[in-house]
Amino acid sequence: MKLISLSVENFMPFKGETTLSFPQDPTRNVMVVFGENMRGKTSLLNALRWVFYGKALGRHLRELPLHEMHNKEAALEGSWTMEVRVQFEADGHQYDLRRRATKRHLVAQPSRPEDFEVTVGLQKDGMAVSGHIVEPEINRFAPQQVSRFFLFDGELLQEYETLLIEGSEQGKRIKEAIEQVLGVPTLIHGRDEAATLLRGAQKQQTKDLAHVAGLENQTQRQGSWQTKLESYETDIQALKTRLEKIKVDRAALDDDLEKVDAVHQAKIRFDFLTNRRKEIAGLQKSQGDERLTLLRDAWRDLLQPKLAVRQTFLYAEQSKITSRMDERSKLEAKAADLKRFLDTASCPTCGQAMQEEKRAKAGTDLGEIEVALKAMSVDHRGLTRVSAEIQELGRLLRPGVGPRIGAIDIESRKLGVELTKIENEIEAISKQIKGYDTAEIARKRSLRDGTLREEGQIERNIAADQKSIDEAKKELAIIAKALQNLPQARASRSTAMVQICTSLERVFSESIERLRGDLRRHVEERATEAFKRLTTQKAYAGLEINQNYGLNIIDERGGRVTVRSAGAEQIVALSLIDGLARTGRAAGPVVMDTPFGRLDLRHRDNILRYLPTTTSQLVLLVHDGEIRRETDLAPIAERIGASYEIKEVNPRHSKIVKVMS
Amino acid sequence: MSATPIAEPTMIGLSEKSHAILKRLKEDGHFAEMADAYRFGIALALANGVIPGEPPPPRTTIFSVATVDPDREIGNAIRALMETGDVPIYRWVERLAEWGVTELARRAQGGEIDFGTILKESEKLHGV
Repeated sequence: MKLISLSVENFMPFKGETTLSFPQDPTRNVMVVFGENMRGKTSLLNALRWVFYGKALGRHLRELPLHEMHNKEAALEGSWTMEVRVQFEADGHQYDLRRRATKRHLVAQPSRPEDFEVTVGLQKDGMAVSGHIVEPEINRFAPQQVSRFFLFDGELLQEYETLLIEGSEQGKRIKEAIEQVLGVPTLIHGRDEAATLLRGAQKQQTKDLAHVAGLENQTQRQGSWQTKLESYETDIQALKTRLEKIKVDRAALDDDLEKVDAVHQAKIRFDFLTNRRKEIAGLQKSQGDERLTLLRDAWRDLLQPKLAVRQTFLYAEQSKITSRMDERSKLEAKAADLKRFLDTASCPTCGQAMQEEKRAKAGTDLGEIEVALKAMSVDHRGLTRVSAEIQELGRLLRPGVGPRIGAIDIESRKLGVELTKIENEIEAISKQIKGYDTAEIARKRSLRDGTLREEGQIERNIAADQKSIDEAKKELAIIAKALQNLPQARASRSTAMVQICTSLERVFSESIERLRGDLRRHVEERATEAFKRLTTQKAYAGLEINQNYGLNIIDERGGRVTVRSAGAEQIVALSLIDGLARTGRAAGPVVMDTPFGRLDLRHRDNILRYLPTTTSQLVLLVHDGEIRRETDLAPIAERIGASYEIKEVNPRHSKIVKVMS
Repeated sequence: MSATPIAEPTMIGLSEKSHAILKRLKEDGHFAEMADAYRFGIALALANGVIPGEPPPPRTTIFSVATVDPDREIGNAIRALMETGDVPIYRWVERLAEWGVTELARRAQGGEIDFGTILKESEKLHGV
């Protein structure tokens, strides 16, 4: 399949009619469309989705309502017709597909999808194709189920990365989508239909054998398990329907909440700041109270330095007096010794008579000491006074409250600065959230959280029901086996039917597993092929697929690479998409919107070199941040067959201009 | 021969003007009680080495000595740090409080009294 041209009229930001021609030369099969964010790159991708499948997708793959796809400026000018036309070639035939939405006559201002009338027309080699064949005809060469791999949105890369997380909800959904694409559901439907036939046959068997003597008990048990099985299946079906609805509701809530996430975050900050303000006020109050209490005794701290000086002086005074007292005591002791010596005629130790010279000397010394003692007065009252004063100062100089008051002052100043900042921020946030119903946002968040919990509960209930179903089936299989072995039952036509349906169901079940295995192998081979061409790490041996279709990188020694960079994740995801696209359909065009987000230059180079070789046409919708048109396109310059740029006329109107061919 | 003991007053106060200031110091939340501000004023004057004169008339009594200085600690501190001469200690208390309260009012003009700084200043004055 090859795209020839795309024309859009009043579609999203493209007011009036705009046409793009796709490159036709197989050696120059790359088309690049440059556009800044919000200019309309994704709208071009959506134009193709809408013309082929009648739907355009917004964020999180939500379908955009028709009335929101119409160009706003054209609508203001009263032009209510929107059309996309694509011309392409497939299997040697020329196709011309148009999809047109026009306001219904009686509607003044369309505000819902039903206000438009949509018509689709397909011409094959100039001949109109009948309405009911249009869809099957498109699905022959561009199956809708595979479309996510060739009408590819870079935003989805991250979804594919989650395939590696075993048991993740998103991984499960993508696995289902991939199996849908690869045809597994066909076999699943077959198995389910075989199971339905089996149940019918078993019912008939129960009826037939109910009156056969000796089989009453078995048939009764069979009937009872059949009733149980039906009840479980009805139950599980209702739960699945409910789960689907809840998931849709939650996706809508998620989208709503994402839009006001900044407001919600601001409200959380606002609440935090308001609480902190209250907390600071409380702290300031308690610190103020503590300071007032401390100030009661702070007068002591004021006097302490001066009293300490006084205390030092008093200690010196005390020391002076006590030194004098010591000195006096010593002199008194000496005088007493001398007196004793003079009063004694002989030596008290040896008993010899004292020499006169020595007595004279002792008398002189005693006289001098007595003179000194008379001159030396000791101020005993002064000592008592000084000691008393020292004691009193000791009481006054006990540890004070000054350091704590200082600490409170520092803390209080810090709190004051914080409070000012908080008040300024609160004022700024108040302006930011003004006009938003924050209570409504909070309500939606609670609703979303509740929905999430309910989802979990339903999933657990489904798992429990599934277990009961498996058990019932097992019991029924045992009963069926037992009946087959009984000659009375074997003769019955319904028993033969049960046998056939059981075999049929088994064949389908085994086929599903075999097909899944084959597909996984197939995807693994092709994705590995792509990965080897895309990765810059040549030591990697390839990719290994898991049950979820997630891919692990295998290193040169056959081990799994467990830590992968964001760029490596993206390369693996792109390899998977390439593998899936090539497994799911014949080679065709691939349109990629913003695919290079986290990749370095060498990986971009590899992608730009590789993808044109596996596709009939490669259309890249990129912004300047992803690809610098002057330098990054050099490796594939000779393969670029067309280049366009989306330019803004005003926020509601973009135009596409050709920049090179 | 021992000197006749000086008769100490039992009630003490301030000039009427300073009394009004004292009330204000409490009302503005600088102190929990007037007695706290009164005590702090005395200590502030002592720390600054002020030798104040008589408070200007008219005067008013505000507290009993037992309220302001129940353990006679302030009296002892004054005795230790000043030459009190023939003036009763608690008359010195009044004089010092008069100066101190006026100084506190001056420091409160900026809105808050920076007690931390006052305490630091007193340390610096005495080379601590």
